Parts: sequence; C-alpha cells; structure tokens
Amino acid sequence: MDKNMSPEEKKFTLEEIMAEAEAKRAARRTADPEAPAVTTAPAVTTAPADSDAPQTVTPAAPPVSRPTTQTTAHIIPIIPQAAPEPQAVPDPQAEPEPDTAQPVEPVPDSTSEPSADAAEPAEAPRRSLSDPDHPVSDHIPDCAKPDVHEEHHVGEGMSKKEAMRIRMKNMNKQEIAYLRRKQIFEKCWPVFRFLILFGLGFVILTPLMFMLSYGFRENADMNDPTIIWIPRHLTLRIMKQTINAMGLTHTSNNPLINTLVLNIGCSICQVVTCAITGYGFARFKFKGRNLLFGIVVLMILVPTQIISIPLYSTFRNFLFGTVNLIDNMLVMYLPALTANGIRAGLMIFIFRQFFRGLPKELEDAAYLDGCGPFKTFVKVMVPNAASSFLTVFLFSIVWYWNDYYVASSFFTNTKTISLVLKNLDGILNIEIFNNANANISAREKIVWLEAGCLISITPMLILYACLQKHFTEGIERSGIVG
Amino acid sequence: MKIPYERRKSLYGYGFISIWLIGTILWFLIPLVESLCYCFMDNAQLKPDVGGMNKVWLWNVGQNWLTNFKYAFAADPQYKQNLISVLKDTALTTPMILIFSLFIAVILNQEFKGRGFARAIFFLPVIIATGPVYNIINGNIATTGADSGAQFSTLFETDIVDQLLEFLGVMNISAGLSEVINSVVTNIFGLVWSSGIQILIFLAALQNIPVSAKEAASMEGATAWEYFWKITLPYVSPMILANFIYTVIDSFTKTDNLVMARVLDKQLDWDYAFAAAMAWSYFAIVMVVVGIIVMIINKFIFYEVE
Repeated sequence: MDKNMSPEEKKFTLEEIMAEAEAKRAARRTADPEAPAVTTAPAVTTAPADSDAPQTVTPAAPPVSRPTTQTTAHIIPIIPQAAPEPQAVPDPQAEPEPDTAQPVEPVPDSTSEPSADAAEPAEAPRRSLSDPDHPVSDHIPDCAKPDVHEEHHVGEGMSKKEAMRIRMKNMNKQEIAYLRRKQIFEKCWPVFRFLILFGLGFVILTPLMFMLSYGFRENADMNDPTIIWIPRHLTLRIMKQTINAMGLTHTSNNPLINTLVLNIGCSICQVVTCAITGYGFARFKFKGRNLLFGIVVLMILVPTQIISIPLYSTFRNFLFGTVNLIDNMLVMYLPALTANGIRAGLMIFIFRQFFRGLPKELEDAAYLDGCGPFKTFVKVMVPNAASSFLTVFLFSIVWYWNDYYVASSFFTNTKTISLVLKNLDGILNIEIFNNANANISAREKIVWLEAGCLISITPMLILYACLQKHFTEGIERSGIVG
Repeated sequence: MKIPYERRKSLYGYGFISIWLIGTILWFLIPLVESLCYCFMDNAQLKPDVGGMNKVWLWNVGQNWLTNFKYAFAADPQYKQNLISVLKDTALTTPMILIFSLFIAVILNQEFKGRGFARAIFFLPVIIATGPVYNIINGNIATTGADSGAQFSTLFETDIVDQLLEFLGVMNISAGLSEVINSVVTNIFGLVWSSGIQILIFLAALQNIPVSAKEAASMEGATAWEYFWKITLPYVSPMILANFIYTVIDSFTKTDNLVMARVLDKQLDWDYAFAAAMAWSYFAIVMVVVGIIVMIINKFIFYEVE
C-alpha cells in the first residue's frame, strides 16, 4: 500500500504538475485550428489590449510572447547550423519588460489603435484577469511556468467554443490574421488542388483515351465530322489486322517473343551486374575509385548516339574480326552482362547510393562470422536491398521495352516491339494498304497506328497497374536520394 | 592470407567492379575514344568497308584536323540554326520542367483522398514517354486536331494569356516575353509528359524531410508559403541539381532533338567524320553550360550533412 501511496503524493511535485499541464496544453493545441471558425468577431475587440492591458498583466507572466510575424520569419534556425540568422531575434531573455503582448513592431496598426481603444476600453482588464497566462496563443512553447494552476480557468468546465473565444480575445492582431489566413487557405486549397490535378491528369490521360477511342473504331468513322471521342462503330477488326501486320501471330521472329526474351534476360543480367558494381563502389576503398566512378557518371551523360557507330564496328568485327554479332541478340546481352546496358550508369548510381545508406554493422557482423565479401553481399546485403532491386528491375524492363535506338542500330532482321512500332507506318503500307481497292486516307490510317500503340504499351500498362506501388513507393526507398 | 586486411579489402573492391570495368572498356571507353577520333579525321580517311569502318586513331590525324568543326559552324546550312534553337528551347523548358515538377511533387506529397490514384497517373509518363509511342501519339493528335488536349492549350494560348498580358500592360513592353509565355503554355502537353521522373525524384526528396522540421515550423506559426521557402526548398535543393542535370541530359539525348536528328541524318549519309564532329561539339557546349550552371547552383544548395 505504501508503494501505491507514494506515487500519489509525488504527483504534487513540480515535475508532475508540469507534465499534466503540458498534456492539457497539447490537447488544446489540437483543437487550435478550429478556433477562428468559431469566433471571428474578437479580431477588433482585442486590438486595444496592446496599449494599456500589459500594465495589468501580472509580472509573473513570462515574456514568452512574440509577434507571429517575427517568429515565422525565423523558421530556418530549426535546421541545425544551417544558416545562422543575422536578423535580430526578439530574445526572451533580452527583453526585460514583461508587457510584451505586442512588443516590438508597432506596424501600421498604430494608426487604427486609438479608435479601437476608445471603443472598448473595458475589455482589456477583464481579459488580462481571466487569463494572464495567455497573452498569446500557445503554439509558442513556453518554458518554466510558475503559474500552471491558471490552466484550469480555461481548460475545464467550458465548452470548446467558449474556450476558443477567450483565447481568441487574448491573441493580438497578427495572430488572428494568421489564423484566419490559414483557415481560408485550408478551405480553398483542396478545391484548387483538385482543379490542378484534374486538369493535368486529363492532359496525361488524353493520349490513353485517344488510343482507346481510336483503336476500337471503324476507319470510316474518321471521315464523320460528328465523331470526336465516342466512336459510332465499335470493332475489333482494326485490332486484329494490326496484330497480324505487326507479326505478333508469327511463329518465327515474333516481335513479342523477341522483346520478352531480350527484355527479361537483359534486365535480370543488368540488375545483377549493376548491383555488384554499385556495391563495389559503395563499400570498398581502392585506388582510382573516384576516377572510375567519374566514368560511371560519364556513362550517364554521354548519349548513345555518339558511340553507336564505333560500337557497331566493334560488334561487326568482334574478337578481331572473327565473329559478326550484328543481328544477334548478344549485342544486347553482352553489354547487359557486363553492366553496360541501357542506362546502366544510372542504375549503378542508384545501387551505389542505396548500399551506401545501409548500416555498416551488417557486413561487419558477417565478416566477423567468417563470411567472405561476396557471400556477405549475397546473403546479407541483397536481402536487405530487395525493394531497391525490384524498383530498378522494373525500370530496366521499361527502358528495354521502350528502347528502339539500340535495337535499330544493331538489328537488321530481329524485330522488337518498339522497332515494329517505330516503322508501323511503313509496315501497314506494305501489309494492309497495298491492294488497289484499299483506298485509305492518311487520316484513316491513324486508326491502325493508334491500335498499334495500344497493343505495344498494353503489357507495360498491365505491369504498371499491378506493381504500381513498387514503381511509386519503391524509388523513394531505393536510395536515389541521399 | 598474408596480405594485410586493408589491402585485401581494396582488392575485393576491384573484384566487385571488375565485371563492369571490362564491359566499360569494351563497350564504352574504346568506342568513345574512337568516335572522338572520327571528328578530327578527313572524310576520305574514314572509308566504310565490309566490317563497318576502318580503324583510325589520333596519330592518323591529318594536317587540317579542324575541317569538320569549321564546316559545321561556318558552312553547314542547318547545324548552327538547329543548335541555337535547341539550346534556346532547352534553356526555356528546363526551368519550367523543374518548377512544374517540384510544384506537382509538393501537391502529391500532401494528404488527400485519392492520392495514390493521382500519383499513379502522374508517373504514367515515366513508363510511356521514353518510347516511340509518345511521338506517334503526339503526331496523330496534332493531325486530327480534334482532341481536347489541344483545345485545352489553345484556350490558354489565344485568349487568356494574351488578355492577361494586355491587362498587365506587358504587351507593349516586350513582345519577347509574351512569346515565351505563349510557347510554354502551348506546350503544356510536352511539359507534363516530360516531367515524370523529375516528379518522382522530387517526391522522394520531399519524403526525406524530417517530421521534426515540419512540426517546428508549424509551432512557430509558419504559413504554407513560408514553409515552402524556408524548409522545403533547402531540403530538396540537392535534388534540384540532380533533376536539372537529368532534364538537360534527357532533352539532349532525345532522338527528336533537332541537332541529334541532323547528326543521325549525316550518319545515314555515311558522313561519319562530320556527324561525329557535330555530335561532339554539341556535347561539349552542353557540358560546358551544364558545368557552369551546376557550379552556380551548388552555391545555393543546402546539404544537411557535412
């Protein structure tokens, strides 16, 4: 029993009281934003307080109050040592006068004050008596509080509305203006945000809607001026024709299968090799590391177009002219296997940043347990980097899927989806519009082109829809930042 | 086992990057040097033979090794014009893309209903815009002229912007400014579609802002505006630099870039020396400009650590 009793008594120690008061204050703080919604009138009535009220404030009230206009200008000191503020901060210690309900800035208010003063002089004393503790709103963290007991005047036995009203009265002009601005902003902003997002989202989705609308209509619909978005004759004929023309039904040299083989294989190779390289750059110190990493950055910067011709001759005369690799899938696989595929520099960079962010203790523990560095990498680092791997892998798939420059440079007969799509106009001319009675105008051709676009991005869209979370959230954890 | 630990570790480091190193020498460095050599060559020296090209190295350089560059800048009818227009275009769109993507990232970072959906839409360009689809669709939309995307921007272009400028009295001051605004507003489609990755990167940076900073700012009564300038901007400033570089490189390597198109044309004409000279001088100019701007931006960047 004694043990139970003693904490009860201790509650009256200063610390306990402080904690309780702190909790109450926190509770009130949450209710804070609603304040201006309830009462807006006091904006005028509180004005007089500035000149004569402070005299009646008990000297015990600590000089914590600062006008909001000044405090807000000094948010930056929160960031440690970021920018030492040269401006004069109204230092609480530096101000001897306790009457700082509106200390420094007299601002333009000074002109309007006298009249307001005259209007409600009686307001001031009541206000200061009712709550001397709060000449300002309490979003300023006040430190030592000898007068915590005053809390009860506000917090208990009063409706929220009432409490807010009283607190509003005790605020100075700038604070009320601040709260009001904040409230108006919070009301209006969602509307504007919706409009902005809706408009821009519409711009982004336009091509998709365009494809859907044009890909499933008869070509005759294109000549009907009354049809813009909603087709009159829905059909799958155009789709089927386009699929046939693109060769997606062929058994040999099928672009879809080619692309998948290239895409998945290269992406896996590239992710693995880039991860290994990135790890090497992130965790080992060796001579020339910065120079070599400079080459990685150069890989990001130099466009493929610059090196494509020499690269062509390298592949054409591979192994000193004994092997011709052109039109072989190895032209994609070999660079991917050696961490030099499409946008490999960027991927190495991402992995390096990511591995740098992992705690060193992980590997130290593994080393102590007798793991070799490669085993450590496979067993300890890779499992930790799973989300990063997935993100980079997805991006790699997208980049390989969309690439047509490399493919068009090194492939002559091997077809990939994006290559076919790039030449779709020519292919359609040969495959579909080649007979005399197919009298197709350029405008009508759009239907087939859009069908082709839709077909070629559908796999990516499905992938995106399924793994959207990893695309959007994964990159945030993948260490691209930092 | 006799090798000291530090030494061993550095050897392991070489081991980890060795795969990449081999690949880079083979597929990147040698071709890079070769193409650099091309641009100092006479066209006669670069005979395409069965195996692609005959190899030339720097010691094959002839007397007048600057011919290609001189020709590119003095005689070629298109190169200089294209270069200027591309540089102008990049200078105009890059800040727009940066501002726009930061704006969108800030919005997408807020809490609201349907945020996941909005994010999904705004990242959609990331998966589509790098491919040929974008160009085809863009062309088709322009051909039909029946889409609301175009109407959307036409609305801005003809009426609102002009009237706004007139209202502000800018019309008389500068025709150039209104031209700039017009070109930006007309290209909203391109702007939105080319800022997918940038939004992603900014969003990632925004999520790294410590909660304590936000809390402290709201304690001190910061408005959203002040919060943006004093907290958000310093924290994302390193990523502004990264995004700047990414945007420039992106517009630089696009195949529908006029200069690049000209280079590819020349390559198709078997005019490799000249094509290489054009590509390299373009690359050099862009790199110098980027370097200068990076140095300037670096002065204003706030790094949390160090």
